[in-house]
Amino acid sequence: MSAIEVEQITKTYKIGTQETHALRGVTASFNEGEFTALVGPSGSGKTTLLQIIGCLDQPTSGALRIKGQDVSRLNADQRADLRKGTIGFVFQFFALIPGLTAYENVELPLLLNGEGTAARKARVLELLDAVGLSERANHRPDQLSGGEQQRVAVARALSVRPLMVLADEPTANLDTENGKQVMEIMRRLNQETGVTFLFATHDPRVVSYATRVVQLRDGRIDDNHSAIPTV
Amino acid sequence: MFKIWKIAFRDLVRNRRRSLLTLLAIVIGVSLLLFTGSFYDGVFAGSLDMSIHLQTSDLQIRAQSYDADKISLDWKDLIENPQDLTGQIEAIQGVQAVTPVLWASGMLLSGSESVGVQINGIDPRSPIYDPIRQALTSGEMFAADDRGGVLVGESLAKSLGLSVGQNITLVTNTANRETDQAAFTIRGLFDTGVAQYDDSTIYMPLEKAQTFTAAGTRASAIRILLNDRTQAESYAAAFAAPGLQVLTWKQLNSILMDSVNASAAFIQLLYFIVLGMVAVVIANTLLMSVFERTREMGILSALGMKSRQILGMFLLEAGMLAVVGVALGVLFGGLIVYYYSQVGISFGQDIMEVKASNMITYGKVLYTQFSALKTMQLSLTALIMILLVAVYPASFAARLQPVQSLHGK
Repeated sequence: MSAIEVEQITKTYKIGTQETHALRGVTASFNEGEFTALVGPSGSGKTTLLQIIGCLDQPTSGALRIKGQDVSRLNADQRADLRKGTIGFVFQFFALIPGLTAYENVELPLLLNGEGTAARKARVLELLDAVGLSERANHRPDQLSGGEQQRVAVARALSVRPLMVLADEPTANLDTENGKQVMEIMRRLNQETGVTFLFATHDPRVVSYATRVVQLRDGRIDDNHSAIPTV
Repeated sequence: MFKIWKIAFRDLVRNRRRSLLTLLAIVIGVSLLLFTGSFYDGVFAGSLDMSIHLQTSDLQIRAQSYDADKISLDWKDLIENPQDLTGQIEAIQGVQAVTPVLWASGMLLSGSESVGVQINGIDPRSPIYDPIRQALTSGEMFAADDRGGVLVGESLAKSLGLSVGQNITLVTNTANRETDQAAFTIRGLFDTGVAQYDDSTIYMPLEKAQTFTAAGTRASAIRILLNDRTQAESYAAAFAAPGLQVLTWKQLNSILMDSVNASAAFIQLLYFIVLGMVAVVIANTLLMSVFERTREMGILSALGMKSRQILGMFLLEAGMLAVVGVALGVLFGGLIVYYYSQVGISFGQDIMEVKASNMITYGKVLYTQFSALKTMQLSLTALIMILLVAVYPASFAARLQPVQSLHGK
């Protein structure tokens, strides 16, 4: 069964009288457990598509179905609830809450989901261990390297056992070694947990980790097929 | 509240300098208001107390036709046989002290100088005159049967170069609408702390004053001190009798009471101006915080935090600043108020306005007066105002769209 289906999704931004078409009718489906790279040049619509799939934004037209349920017309609170339990995010900038420790950042989605103390603690420790940061649990973001911050973000994205993790250019601000480390962790967790990963990138080294590549160009899918990329 | 409070608290700690400056604004504002309010309360309470003790008492009984502005000595305007009435009132429960008094306007002559004075014919044994006894700086209180002794204000004596034991001449109007004059010896000098009062007041025994002014055995008024001043109205009603007027301390200090009301309105206005300024500082701080943390709002929103939770988080920040700031402001302001309630603020020269029957007396040293109720009202007003102004930046943050916030827009 498809975890995510997008059907004829369009997104048009209006700035004054000028219209910009970020997506021009995208149709695709992503199965559970896939590790998909969304590739394309800048301005091709990768980030916009991720934001719509992640219920951070709404399409101008078209339908978004998550586990068969149309979620494209939910209101802001309903979308927030959906994000809270279903979707994990990893952003290009190391999007941790500055005032909280690594432990607390990973714990935050669990708190928002109302998880009990014991379950929360076990899950956070498990995930920090999984990303190799058990020793850094009590460090705040400004005390962590970029790679470490992004690994915390990956752990946080997986904390509520989401249906999918959406990652927008997760290695763009990392050096090669750290980028490789983050991608290996994401791939390993994808295999271990079966969570669907969909990540936007234009880095060929990152694409090489994908089990499927979706090519976007000018707001349309240029090439939609599952394959282990040869790049 | 999840860890919202923690995020809010950590943000305040993270921006330590900004938070401290904001706290400082609240502390200064609240302290200033607390001090100003307490100062006014203290000044008016002190002034009222002084006026009651020196001049009005809690109740006064006068002849119906007596006009205190004219300080009339016409027999029809005076109380006949005041000692009888005094004896009756003395027996009533709740009455602390009662004594007749005779007022007359006169002139003090000394050498080539003359000064207008108010002559107070009093019973020196009455505890109502304890404040004058305590205010004596030299000499002693005259005896009730002293036929030639007077008390003069120290400042008046100094200005005329007089001292205890020296003689003066007093000229007064009499009940016969004539003038009379007699020589008196200064038995003592008093300093009430109200120089203008001391400059214009002469005390002499009641009997001598009655003889001097040809008032017979009559008195201008009967002064009454009660155990409980707040019961003055009911006592006034009980003492009401044909041909007499009974005035309470509120009526006798009407100018002062009007001033209290006027100053209360002024203080209220000041509260809103100062708290308004503090509120603007808070709003600015929070708005800065919103702008700086736009991306953070986006992340929280992406994690599933709803608008109202983000709103709550900012209100919580404002609330924490407000609670800590107000608490410190009350503590700091309270200490200042306490200090000046003990030590007082010396103005050197006094400030006083005298009208024949309604006098506002301010001493040379003014004291603050702490009021728990008013402090609580001030604290609550400050908290509410700060939270109200915080709604704007908080709702601004809550309205941010996740996509725009994530891009720091």
